[in-house]
Amino acid sequence: MKNLRRYLYVIAGLLLISSCKPEIETFKHGSGSADFSKYIAVGNSLTAGYADGGLYLDGQQNSYPAIMAKQMIQAGGGSFTQPLFGSGQENGSGYLKLTGFNADGTPITTPVTTDLAITGVTPVLGFGNVTLYAKYNGNINNFGVPGLKLEQITYAPLGNLNGYYERLLPGAEGTHNTPYLSFVTAQPFTFFSNWLGNNDALLYATSGGAGDVLTDKAVFQQLYGVMINAMTANGQKGVVGTIPDVTAIPYFNTITVGAILAGVQKANPQVQAIYINALGSDGVTYAPRAATAKDLIILTFPTSMIGTPVSTPYGTLPYGLTPYTPIDNQYVLDEAEVAMTEDYVSSYNTTITAVAAQKGLAVFDAFTFLNNVKAKGLLIDGVSLNANYISGGIFSLDGIHLTPRGYAIVANEFIKAIDAKYGSSIPLANISDYRSVKFP
Amino acid sequence: MRKILLLALAIAPVLSFAQGFQVNLEGQKQIGMGHTGVGQAQDGAAVFFNPGAVAMLPQNYVQAGISPLFYKSDFNPSGTNVQDYNANKVATPFEGYAVWGPKDARWKVSLGVYTPFGGLTDWGNSWAGKYSLESLDLKAIYVQPTLSVRITNFLSIGAGFVYNHGSVDLTQALPLSNSAGQDGQAELKGSGHGLGWNAGIYLKASDKLTIGFVHRSQVTTTINNGDAIFTVPASLQSSFPQPNTFNATIPLPATNAIGFGFYPNKQWTIAFDANLVGWNVYKNLAFDYKTNTPELQDTNEPRNYKNAVALRAGAQYKCKDNLALRFGGGYATTAVNDGYVTPEAPDANRVYFTLGAGYAICKHLDADLSFEYEHLMARTQTNTYSNLSGTFETNVYIPGISLAYHW
Repeated sequence: MKNLRRYLYVIAGLLLISSCKPEIETFKHGSGSADFSKYIAVGNSLTAGYADGGLYLDGQQNSYPAIMAKQMIQAGGGSFTQPLFGSGQENGSGYLKLTGFNADGTPITTPVTTDLAITGVTPVLGFGNVTLYAKYNGNINNFGVPGLKLEQITYAPLGNLNGYYERLLPGAEGTHNTPYLSFVTAQPFTFFSNWLGNNDALLYATSGGAGDVLTDKAVFQQLYGVMINAMTANGQKGVVGTIPDVTAIPYFNTITVGAILAGVQKANPQVQAIYINALGSDGVTYAPRAATAKDLIILTFPTSMIGTPVSTPYGTLPYGLTPYTPIDNQYVLDEAEVAMTEDYVSSYNTTITAVAAQKGLAVFDAFTFLNNVKAKGLLIDGVSLNANYISGGIFSLDGIHLTPRGYAIVANEFIKAIDAKYGSSIPLANISDYRSVKFP
Repeated sequence: MRKILLLALAIAPVLSFAQGFQVNLEGQKQIGMGHTGVGQAQDGAAVFFNPGAVAMLPQNYVQAGISPLFYKSDFNPSGTNVQDYNANKVATPFEGYAVWGPKDARWKVSLGVYTPFGGLTDWGNSWAGKYSLESLDLKAIYVQPTLSVRITNFLSIGAGFVYNHGSVDLTQALPLSNSAGQDGQAELKGSGHGLGWNAGIYLKASDKLTIGFVHRSQVTTTINNGDAIFTVPASLQSSFPQPNTFNATIPLPATNAIGFGFYPNKQWTIAFDANLVGWNVYKNLAFDYKTNTPELQDTNEPRNYKNAVALRAGAQYKCKDNLALRFGGGYATTAVNDGYVTPEAPDANRVYFTLGAGYAICKHLDADLSFEYEHLMARTQTNTYSNLSGTFETNVYIPGISLAYHW
């Protein structure tokens, strides 16, 4: 008995030891002068959590507003509900999956086509086909709508043209007449983030300057003012993001003119140049010319087209290798188009920062941040990250949208901007908890 | 045509394992007195503490002890209230000594086996620093045959040859997600050996004062053909070829020490030690992989350690002929410069306190108990190599027990 008691003492002593952990004084959380109790996120695909060329559950769950909201809980944040795709439809619109590498190291992506949330495709007269998705009806804190431009926020029929917006609205396709801005401000909120405006430049750029137009600068300025006035109508505080330099994303930096030319020259050393159809100095007309490193080829350009025979009035000529058979406009954001896009983005950002300053809002300067990432990369908790396609860790397989790790980094940048402006202290997200591209 | 997307992953598993992690647990009597012993001839542990003192031991010894070590580290990533703790794992530093010489001879031969360096940490695979380290199990076992000679009645010298068997098993997450979204992992596992020596001078200045000087040499330990195991998604396996091996060399630093023993009366012994540990030899840590690929390059990470100082003091009170009570403590400066602290054993200046008790079970057999509490000061750091940023704080609890047979 005496021995038993002795053993118990020893065991108790050991347990005591194993519970004597050090405790580090951590910083105190607080909301500062902001109120995060009802936070809403306004924006486009980046806000929705779009990734790998589609909107799907995993991306939604790792959207930067969702990550921010999770961190805000410790600084007085409330519940945050997203219009998630339900079970059996978790692959949403479908997305790209990395399924392997070719012998030359280039990636093979395959579309995911099972468990989609697509309910139909409706042709809309004078617009085209609109893909419809399973409806969501419930609370919404994340109003991110893929494809949304600032230009469209007061456009009443938008719900009939954008399937991602349509799924959030009550009522049937074809009958919608709620402008986006009215929809997001219908319910009260205390704090907002707004990262709209990217698509006003990006959709022009990603179509090689051929499939879309840049939103007029004055229109952008007017609508941004309207938007922020509405968002701050009841004195709400918030954070806005500037528009990244479109040339900082891997969609435009992965397939380069130099690399294509080098590939061709391996087989045909006499080839001197790649030809593109480029915007002239008048800013209107296009004419063929030899491509330079300042012309950006889009990620989805099928490089196998290069050199394939094309019949022309001058005979059959190889695609992309003569002035008579230039690479089509939609595959190239040429130097003049780049300059034009950058000029517009710069103007949009001037508007965003000016309006934010006027309203006392926090600003996440995504333009500067992303350019720094492109120039210098990032090193976070032992992980090297940069703006490269796949290997960089930040951008998803579409080369435009982010990986969960990329979105977590963005969430932290938004949080830092909020804390700096409102004196709040929201804990930062752990970047290591979020993945980059998935490899097979 | 599309040879454009070279998968230049910026991933080089830079692993580092010899932190400022010296295990000062080489004898229960000495631990009880603040791990002093350079200037005393207490028992067989003198083989480690001062080979010179061995020849002054009045008896022959066979003894062994163990000091289970509970290492409690906490990491608080900057800007968060997260507390990442390392898992409860118990390291087992041990020591054993055998000392023999003919009665009244001027010499003694001895053998020591002890563990002066080591580390056992397991941070798990979900903490903020997982890409720096998941777990580490590092052991160094020194074997030291020794010869000691009493030159005069007040001066003796001794020297031992040191053979080190070192082993390491280290894991680190790799930021390469598989299709299930799980990280890859690098594991470096191997063993090697190194050689060195330990020599000391012991001076019996008077009945009331003894003095010791000792030099424990650097033991450069080389691991050849350790296993380099990379668990990565199948499509990336060719970048991390398997099987693969690595070589690495770690200099385990030299210690210069001076110690004093004071004997004011029959009951009391008071001791002071000062150690200078030559960590500045640890400039960098290089890993040489047998098979390199563009993604898996050899690495050479700067360490830039600085020399560390430890000051120790302790006392023993003999309350009865067969019972001694001991206490002590000390302060040790860190070997790791700002910006180089890593999670292997997040080093900082440390303060420690010890307690001990010795009981003579019978004429020839002693049992000794010791307890040590060590506190590594909170240290807020951004590592220059990984940018891992946050505050480390560590408590160490070390109970210990030994038995010594002497005749």
